[in-house]
Amino acid sequence: MRAGEFLKKSIWVFHLNTGSCNACDIEIIDVLTPYFDAERLGVKLVVSPRHADVILLTGPITHESLPKVIRAIESTPRPRFILALGSCACGGGIWYDTYSTIGGVPELLKILEKLHIKVDGVYYVPGCPVRPESILYAIGLFKGIVGKKIRRRVKRAIV
Amino acid sequence: MSKSILKKLGFLKALIIAGRVGRVTRKYPFEKPLTTSEFRGKIEIDETKCIGCGACVNVCPSNALTITSRGGEIILQYFIGRCVYCWRCIDVCPTNAIKGTSEFELASNNASDLYEIVIHDTFSCKSCGRVITTTRMRDYVLGKFQLSENYIDLGPDCRRKAFLSAIERRFGGS
Repeated sequence: MRAGEFLKKSIWVFHLNTGSCNACDIEIIDVLTPYFDAERLGVKLVVSPRHADVILLTGPITHESLPKVIRAIESTPRPRFILALGSCACGGGIWYDTYSTIGGVPELLKILEKLHIKVDGVYYVPGCPVRPESILYAIGLFKGIVGKKIRRRVKRAIV
Repeated sequence: MSKSILKKLGFLKALIIAGRVGRVTRKYPFEKPLTTSEFRGKIEIDETKCIGCGACVNVCPSNALTITSRGGEIILQYFIGRCVYCWRCIDVCPTNAIKGTSEFELASNNASDLYEIVIHDTFSCKSCGRVITTTRMRDYVLGKFQLSENYIDLGPDCRRKAFLSAIERRFGGS
């Protein structure tokens, strides 16, 4: 099920920094400038998660920010989607097993499942930091403009 | 009077500048991306060259590359979602099995798409039956050094024991 089926109109995004190094956040600003201009795809940055369709999540989710992240996701109206931007959000990045972070969105989804908060879909956008074009590609994938290029690959080393 | 009108119409200057510069916005999802040859994207593991030595796992700063031994198989796993694209694994690979690409369109709605897995066959120690390393690794080492046939199929511990007992036999130990 593609997200575009739910959200046929413009997607409004809420930028949620969960303890990232600000590199991904700068790239998000890059995407909104006239050079890449995400607004031509209908993307609009909003100030409250209550207005948003999609949460742009950056950072490995520190323990300090976890309650606020959960509150922000809970207050987003359904159907709600998460765009995990950067290696930190996708799988913890460099900080995947440190004492102060939970290690990315996969761990967050487990916590949300325990709290019975449903997330309709997560889009993973790897990159350290993510390229602005990478974010645009993810938005294109979200809206069904471009196709998915990556797939799980299992190779066997033949002797 | 006319001055204030000119002041109000000052924004028209921006139109003149915009007309001179032209369109700056990239049409990205509908055109080719801007990538240079120096751009570091995802890595690719060539399964025909990889020997499963684990050198890349040692240097990986974020443990995006992990190696596990499970059920008689050694599994090298690359999780793109954690990779920081430092390409240290490419520098360290002894067989040049890891190749860097400029691919960055890696977005996916399924976390399992972000995995690349290479499964290696292993061989067990002849005397104790423990899994030692991959068969590829043994062949690679045999290509580099001439190892006695008696010790090829033994693990490090058993090899040491066999070597000591061989010395014992030669010098007539108790």
